[in-house]
Amino acid sequence: MSEAASRLRRLTAFFSQGFLLLATALSLVAVLLIIAYIARDAIPFFKLRGLKELFSSTAWFPSGQPPEFGALAIFIGSGLVTLGSILVAVPLGIAAAIALSDILPYRVRQLVKPVIEILAALPSVAYGFFALVIFAPLLQNRGGSLLSMAAWLIALPLGLLIIFVISEMAVRSVREDVAKAARLILAAALTAILVRGLLALSAVLNKVAIGSGTNALNVSIILGIMALPTIVSVAEDSLQAAGRELREGSYALGATRAETLFKVIIPAAGSGIIAAVILGVMRAVGETMVVWMASGNAAQIPTPWFNFLSPVRTLTATIAGDMGEADQVLGSGRYHVLFALALCLLLTSFAANLASEWILRRQQRRLGGLK
Amino acid sequence: MDLQARKLFDRSLTSISIMAVVLMSLALLVLLAPIFSRGLGAFFFRGTSEHRRLALEQFNRGNAQAVASEIRIVGAARRPVYEMLSAFEDELDGMDSTRRQGYRAQLKEIKSLLRELLGPLPGEMEAVMLRQQYGQTRWDRARVKLKAILYSEEWDYSDTRSMGKKVLRSRQKIFAGTRLDPMFPYMENNLSRMLRPRFTFYWRFLTDLSLDSHFFGGIWPEILGTIYLTLGAMLLAIPFGIIAAIYLSEFAAGGRLVSLLRVCISTLAGVPSIVFGLFGLAFFINTLHLSSSKSVLAGSATLALLILPTIIRASEEALKAVPHTYKEAALSLGASPLRMVLTVLLPAALPGILTGIIISMGRAAGETAPIIFTAAVSVGQPLKLWETISQPTPALPWNIYNLATEHQAVDEIRHVQFGMVLTLVLLVLLLNLAAILIRARISKKMRG
Repeated sequence: MSEAASRLRRLTAFFSQGFLLLATALSLVAVLLIIAYIARDAIPFFKLRGLKELFSSTAWFPSGQPPEFGALAIFIGSGLVTLGSILVAVPLGIAAAIALSDILPYRVRQLVKPVIEILAALPSVAYGFFALVIFAPLLQNRGGSLLSMAAWLIALPLGLLIIFVISEMAVRSVREDVAKAARLILAAALTAILVRGLLALSAVLNKVAIGSGTNALNVSIILGIMALPTIVSVAEDSLQAAGRELREGSYALGATRAETLFKVIIPAAGSGIIAAVILGVMRAVGETMVVWMASGNAAQIPTPWFNFLSPVRTLTATIAGDMGEADQVLGSGRYHVLFALALCLLLTSFAANLASEWILRRQQRRLGGLK
Repeated sequence: MDLQARKLFDRSLTSISIMAVVLMSLALLVLLAPIFSRGLGAFFFRGTSEHRRLALEQFNRGNAQAVASEIRIVGAARRPVYEMLSAFEDELDGMDSTRRQGYRAQLKEIKSLLRELLGPLPGEMEAVMLRQQYGQTRWDRARVKLKAILYSEEWDYSDTRSMGKKVLRSRQKIFAGTRLDPMFPYMENNLSRMLRPRFTFYWRFLTDLSLDSHFFGGIWPEILGTIYLTLGAMLLAIPFGIIAAIYLSEFAAGGRLVSLLRVCISTLAGVPSIVFGLFGLAFFINTLHLSSSKSVLAGSATLALLILPTIIRASEEALKAVPHTYKEAALSLGASPLRMVLTVLLPAALPGILTGIIISMGRAAGETAPIIFTAAVSVGQPLKLWETISQPTPALPWNIYNLATEHQAVDEIRHVQFGMVLTLVLLVLLLNLAAILIRARISKKMRG
């Protein structure tokens, strides 16, 4: 090959790679532009009103005369809804991930995978429509009986499990010949207490009247379901990544499947599960349509603060709902405050993303070292 | 712990985790069942004679003679109602003024309900709004209106401890003894003769224009808008996505820059969709001035940024799954790396890349938040292709929100809302199904 031809070849390779790099850098540019443009329109607000009012006052009257921009109730609304979705999605998601990675046979797993994919693929507006048109009236009309049914469904199996563990712990020091009988009696007594408690609870819950079906509870449940696919798939991936060797080693020592999971696999995959939770929760925090349609959009702090039955308002719904009116008055505090809220949202999501990225990478390195 | 306890513990873990999977599947079922069952109601329903009259007059569809003779038949069935009404009005003039006052308000209500049920009363001026020119086109809605005529809804607040209760009060009793008295049983017994419900398969719901802000007609403008937005986003995102994937999987040699790029991609994937919408407004419209206000172009560009990370990740996975031997064979034959990528790597990875593209297409079609400020309007005509550069469009996700929350008669057009949701959900599900099928084919091929 002549020198000129080889130089030409190197030159084309260089330029083509440069071109590829340039196109790849679009993501970098996009992230920078997003930060820059959200911040550019958020800064005028902070210049105009300072930081204190936004984070400490609960008076949200952006179109009032004079306007007030206290978003504390909105932040708390977002937090409450997020907490609710965590309560729904995390136990369910982790349990489902365990089932998918270690318990269900291959064929059943292949059937469950599409369920997760469809849950992830359904448009958020379809979830929101369901929450508003079907779930909200149901909560409003049959809220009490639904709540008590849910209490039974959740508390009974969990309570039985806890009773089992307690009675197991309690009879440990007792002599072996009476242990069996003692355990049985203790368990029976505790079960009776549990059932009585549940009966009392469901009697109370049955009387609960829900004033409006569009409230924090409704949104929390729907957001929890929306966050499930992310949590299940990421957590399952990291449970699988723990590898066969660890499991087989544990089984060989005589451990049961549950012991293997709790003492070996989950400690090894724990950071991955935390990353999964972070990613799933961020989906709930950033979700707009469901909360806009079904949270009630009332900018107030619920009393008491954990009252899930009261309507709330979140960051995303505020941005979506107020921008339509603020659009026309470009440059006003009303327009810029929404960008300030968006900046808070953006920074939260950045932090959460970097954290989960870092955790996942660390786990990869650690598990890699194990092999 | 003894062996039995350990076993029991193991079993309870198994059952709890299986219960979680069952609950998850149940949630999906509960979600989809009403959307499907009520969404199909937009396509399959019992259409009344008013539906056929509307189809003929507004869409020029159906047999003109058959419709004319049907109008005559239902007209004959409706005549007694109108006769009783006018007879009662004559009777009203002879009453003393206090009694007359009481009946007047009731009569006015009944007349407006009759107009909604059967269309304009005979001898009245042509209404301006299209919704007032026709009666109920759907039998299920007609039954609801009939009930409103037969019973007036009142709220009982006598029990102060609980919320007000709804009480139905028979209107026939209010008019007992007057000439309007027999109208109520006549209406109840002869409604089907007055409206002649027939089973209708209205597949043109997908391709008809909306009439009088979705009171009648179909959802074509929304469907077309969604297609434009999705295809526009794909057109912008696919080239960049695939190029980035090729660079990251083949040419990137570790280092700080590449890991920075990867962090950026996952960060971009985590940005909340509403922030994308604000960014699109601030950047594409207020800064770049792609269009003077909302437009399909600005919306597509915003959606493209949103799906870029998905496409990059899926394509990279697909490229990495191509066996090393392929690449090595191509390179050893003297092909330049670029040529190897174009002629060997890309064709081998194409099905995998396609899967990612299809899935992100479903995502782009269903996203609402990014297009609120950049592309979507509630009412609009279907756009021509060249108008997409400068014009906003209605789109399925946005209009579902809009019809379900902001429309002036939310309850009257539930079937349209459910029809739209079903259309969008089916679109997304079909795209996902296609992706699943392609993936199944790939894994079959890989196995041999």
